[in-house]
Amino acid sequence: MKIILEARDVSYHYPGDREAIKGISFHVKKGEKVALVGPNGAGKSTLLQMFNGMIRPGKGTILFDTEPIRYDASSLRQLRKRVGYVMQNADRQIIAPTVYQDVAFGPANLGYDENAIREAVALALRQVGMAGFERRPPHHLSGGEKKKVAIAGVLAMDPDILVFDEPTSGLDPSGSEELMELLDELNHEGKTIFISTHDVELAYPWADRVILLLDGKILEENVPAVAFGDPELVLKAHLSVPILLELSQELGRRGFAQPEQKPRSVLDMIHVIENLLHGTCCHATPGAIHVYNMDTGDIASVLALIRDRPDLCVGAMGTRAKMCAAKESISLSFTYGVIDKCILRSLRGQDSLILTTNAMVGRVGTRVDAYCTESGTIIRVIPVATGGGTGSPA
Amino acid sequence: MFETLLDDAAQNNAFRHIHPGTKILLGLGSLCICLVSPTPVVPVLSGLILSIVLLLPARIPARIYGELLLAPVVFSVFSIVVLLFMLGGGDVVWEFSPVSWIHLTITTNAVHQSVLILSRVFGCMVSLFFIALTTPLTDLFNMMKRCRVPVELIDLMMIMYRYIFIFYDQAKEIWQAQVMRLGYQRPKESIHSFSMLCGMLFISSWIVGEDLVRAMDCRCYNGIMPSLDPMEPVRMQSFIPVVLYLSGLGGIMVAILTGIVVFS
Repeated sequence: MKIILEARDVSYHYPGDREAIKGISFHVKKGEKVALVGPNGAGKSTLLQMFNGMIRPGKGTILFDTEPIRYDASSLRQLRKRVGYVMQNADRQIIAPTVYQDVAFGPANLGYDENAIREAVALALRQVGMAGFERRPPHHLSGGEKKKVAIAGVLAMDPDILVFDEPTSGLDPSGSEELMELLDELNHEGKTIFISTHDVELAYPWADRVILLLDGKILEENVPAVAFGDPELVLKAHLSVPILLELSQELGRRGFAQPEQKPRSVLDMIHVIENLLHGTCCHATPGAIHVYNMDTGDIASVLALIRDRPDLCVGAMGTRAKMCAAKESISLSFTYGVIDKCILRSLRGQDSLILTTNAMVGRVGTRVDAYCTESGTIIRVIPVATGGGTGSPA
Repeated sequence: MFETLLDDAAQNNAFRHIHPGTKILLGLGSLCICLVSPTPVVPVLSGLILSIVLLLPARIPARIYGELLLAPVVFSVFSIVVLLFMLGGGDVVWEFSPVSWIHLTITTNAVHQSVLILSRVFGCMVSLFFIALTTPLTDLFNMMKRCRVPVELIDLMMIMYRYIFIFYDQAKEIWQAQVMRLGYQRPKESIHSFSMLCGMLFISSWIVGEDLVRAMDCRCYNGIMPSLDPMEPVRMQSFIPVVLYLSGLGGIMVAILTGIVVFS
């Protein structure tokens, strides 16, 4: 895959201060999800601000799209259009007095005409699930909503890579999970995503690759299971081992066989444990997962299905599906980690329904397929309203 | 909490989706008529009708509206008392002389003038409240832009409006932190606490200002604060009643002036 962002031996020190970044090299490939993890004061924010030229490294170079960053005004504007930076504090990022004006800020300054601005704003707000909030002033929004507006403001410029400084700070747990889902969704639409965080539990299941940063130096750069797997390293970086990883390590220390792939979710862990116990791992007849694609199906059949089957648990994947559920007042049991939670239900012999969109519908099949091949069970994925409810085994 | 109350009302009233031009026309139109009216009947009538409109169809909570009215009422009552004694002309209605060299008199002309001023204050205040309570500031910015107010001025106002609330929250937080640790307990200490609050606010505003520049740079700032919000068209079902109302009000004034209708 193509390298989109690269740092070559980058150093920086604040005027009159100690060195914040001490000779760092790494690269980010197109379409990757990378988490920069480190304790407070490790230099995460400083490093992130180099990506869009807010901070110029003292030594070394940053390359974007294999070209070294140039620091004249017009090159910087081009760079900042393509590298979207979302600040930690959404209140500081939202400049304008209404949501519409704030999201329009980037496109307007890039010289789009009125219609293009309107389109960009509408699209960005739809992507983050904030359509209909255009005229609201920011001080009438909740923390999570502000964060989404801040993200929309960056998305409106249609960047190639999105850089988030502590994306979940100040959000409640379900807000954080939903935000991480949103990042996944954006990643699926082709954006490269780079986040900084010190929340290992969040970074562990989400990231493709983790960079551990300590005192301005890279401590480790690897897949999450390895980067977070070394207790010594984790201790040194003032972090903690993710609970699932710790559990799996502890099982290993007690002589239980370890799977090749470290468990990254509760579903993985259940699979591991059930395998350890008796080889087979599920209810005699696993439940089915109904999938409804909002872009092709009609909502009446879903409402009928929900009415007929009160035992069905409903989950929504993607911001548009969630908005649709809210509009139709469908009560949702799952709003994040939906596929895994539905598979878990299936294994208990219960049925569930996933509301989703064109872009994400494929993921349900892929994930369920992957699980079924790995575990040797058969979970049926049934599309709603497209084939009249005929089931096909996955 | 007063400024947030006003803003809440402006954002959430039932007239929120009427074109701001229509609302401003109603507010400013009745303001002008109240100002030029030589008789107290017209402003009082206008004030009453607009109050009813604000409370019923626009669904402004009565408590907020009452509290809002209270402030100018207190102020104008005090002023009227002074005016009653200051203005002259006509017959003496009441005389008061507590000491030999002070003569306080109220004359008929003074009473007429004071009543007129009081009614104008009432009419004009309600007209202004009508705009303030039904039209969010952001809509006013749009209208200013259409009226060719210099863009730099509007941009500044927009940023100020955005940051008032952040500034206010910050002040509240600092104040709470001080009170929790027993600030403002003695008069001398209060002055000290307050000066600390001001100092802290200055520093944090400075930091917020630097962040603002950075946030704008991050998003390719090139001198443009966007753009008009999408706005509803002027709708006849709201515009025509406004025109009718204003012409009715003007008509009553002219009728009274020319002596067709006589109030005494």
